[in-house]
Amino acid sequence: MTASVEEIRAEVKKLLDEGAVKYVIGYRNGSAGPFAAPAFFTGAGEADELVWDPTCFHNLARFLADERREDVCAPEAEEDGKKPVGVVVKGCDSRAVAVLLQEKFVDRDAVYLIGVSCEDGGVIDEGKLARKLGTAKVEKIEFGVDGGFVVTTDEGPIKIESADILDDRCVECRAAYPVVHDVVIGEQVDRKPEEPYGSLDEIESLAPEERWEFWERELGKCIRCYACRSICPMCYCDECVADTIAFAVTADTTADEKAQKIKWVERSPDNSENFFYHLVRAMHLAGRCIDCNECERACPVDIPLRLLNKKLEKEAKELFDYDVGFDPDVPSLISSFRDEDPEDFIR
Amino acid sequence: MEKTLKKDAFAEWLKKLPSYDVYVPVEDDGRFNYEIVGNAGAIDESFTNAVVGPKKVVFPQREVLLRFNSTNEKAPEVEEVLPEEKPAVVFGVRPCDARAVTLTDKVFGGDFADPYYWRRRNNTTLIGLVCTEPPSANCFCTSVGGSPAGKDGLDVVLTSLGDRYYVETLTTRGEKVVSDGGKVFGEPAADDKKAAEKVGTEAAAKVERQVEGVNDLTENLRDMFDSPFWDEESLSCIRCGICTYLCPTCHCFDINDEVLVPVPLTGERVRTWDNCQFPDFTMHSSGHNPRPNRASRLRQRILHKFRYFVENFGDYQCTGCGRCIIYCPVGIDIVDVLDKTAAYER
Repeated sequence: MTASVEEIRAEVKKLLDEGAVKYVIGYRNGSAGPFAAPAFFTGAGEADELVWDPTCFHNLARFLADERREDVCAPEAEEDGKKPVGVVVKGCDSRAVAVLLQEKFVDRDAVYLIGVSCEDGGVIDEGKLARKLGTAKVEKIEFGVDGGFVVTTDEGPIKIESADILDDRCVECRAAYPVVHDVVIGEQVDRKPEEPYGSLDEIESLAPEERWEFWERELGKCIRCYACRSICPMCYCDECVADTIAFAVTADTTADEKAQKIKWVERSPDNSENFFYHLVRAMHLAGRCIDCNECERACPVDIPLRLLNKKLEKEAKELFDYDVGFDPDVPSLISSFRDEDPEDFIR
Repeated sequence: MEKTLKKDAFAEWLKKLPSYDVYVPVEDDGRFNYEIVGNAGAIDESFTNAVVGPKKVVFPQREVLLRFNSTNEKAPEVEEVLPEEKPAVVFGVRPCDARAVTLTDKVFGGDFADPYYWRRRNNTTLIGLVCTEPPSANCFCTSVGGSPAGKDGLDVVLTSLGDRYYVETLTTRGEKVVSDGGKVFGEPAADDKKAAEKVGTEAAAKVERQVEGVNDLTENLRDMFDSPFWDEESLSCIRCGICTYLCPTCHCFDINDEVLVPVPLTGERVRTWDNCQFPDFTMHSSGHNPRPNRASRLRQRILHKFRYFVENFGDYQCTGCGRCIIYCPVGIDIVDVLDKTAAYER
């Protein structure tokens, strides 16, 4: 089972009615097919459009970065400025918020977290669904009553086992229940994956040359649209070392400073630059990525980016016994040092 | 010239084209892409459309414009680098994508013809494949002047009739690749032409998505530049480049010098795809950015396609392929946005 959409709507309606939040970031039905889309709710009357289904893939913590950029949701009254932003968060999304709190990017008072427990469900993988159903036209995807999913196609509803189409992020989920929240809708669950890093088995079993070939082929497909970076809730830097689309130039930047800006990576989508871009990004997410898998889902050319991030998550766990995004009050992996930290890799 | 081709003789045709780079849609984990296959291959019966269209053949994402090198601290010597005169033939081109190439022709042609583009373009033969079904539920070609059996921009068009294709040549480039095929082709039966036309008409009826009030679109957009509409519609935009890079009509580029060896200075001047959804696209060196937020960038994408391009070239700069809808990771839907402009209170 899963949380009820009516309860989520009631909570959102109440928050907007009371004027307790500036707006709420949630999900609506997409206009172009059976998948949900991120939505910004500003009035209580809109709350009935909110949806909760297995296509609520998006990690809405991503949109907290826009709140700090030039792109605010709507022109607002002065008193609105102090109000928090409501965000609907799944367990994984709440871990992203925990990291943003830990890094002091977001103040706890600035967000009102409407947690939703995935219980024994999760989101589906579009690719797995397409492979399962072939050319059948999908109209609706819902949570099944006793686990699994109910997919309605033009030929009627069919029940599909969870294991067949559940996204890998959910198969290896470590927080089906939100870790930070102001309210939670749905049951408290403590779901632990049997094989938390099972998806790495195959790539880890390859010899280094085979792995190199694998990544040459996969990263060779990259068209450098930067969707992986742009959808990532952790990639909030104003200026990104891994791409050239976000130079923080202002009217006060001197000609000298502009001339000194180092272009670390060229725009050419060849393997030298693609490797640089993706590996730098992966390193910058070590100890920060909470495995929402949005980068891989967004990728139009289907690069298995999750493997990179999952590998670094595993390294952080095995080398430093570090778990990402469970406690906003512990020091972050990169900014902390303990006497017992291993140093045998320093030569 | 009309012919027929047995589908199992397709590979034979490819073998007759040894001087060409032969591109065929190749499947990888459910997604298709045009790849050079040599003389092996067929058009997969499950082919829908490629993630990146044949735009990448006539306008590659990376292109070297010139090379420079300087020795003994002299001024660098510059060498022009034009694309090789190597003919290419792309099979399985959807009519929307071929029509899109005719739109990029307008941009790279005119008074200042782009020699790099035209060298590739004039060496590229596009072999169309009529859509028997709309390749995606988000196709909307019929709203913007196209059709699943459209011929604009194609050199040859193939229509699937069971175990064979009905083959129609439309240009001299097309006639060349068909005559190179020689005896692999057969003569059409009396009613093949009619049967082929029927395929296109039936497919057109299956295109589900339509842009409402498409005739008033440009006029409606004319006074929406300062509208709050763009703020409302762009809230979830994450400023990635998917919609524009995958768009068969988007043609913006950037030019950079890539240094290969710093001393003595050696390198290449390259042109790469660029796009209006990246924040630095309009960044001035002063630090001023005339399109500073997602609203102004979405507005630019829509207005360029449905207003400025119409004013400059007399056509929508959109052929309804649906890629920007299918691949947008946050569900921004150009048909929905256009529909809303019709009803928007101005």
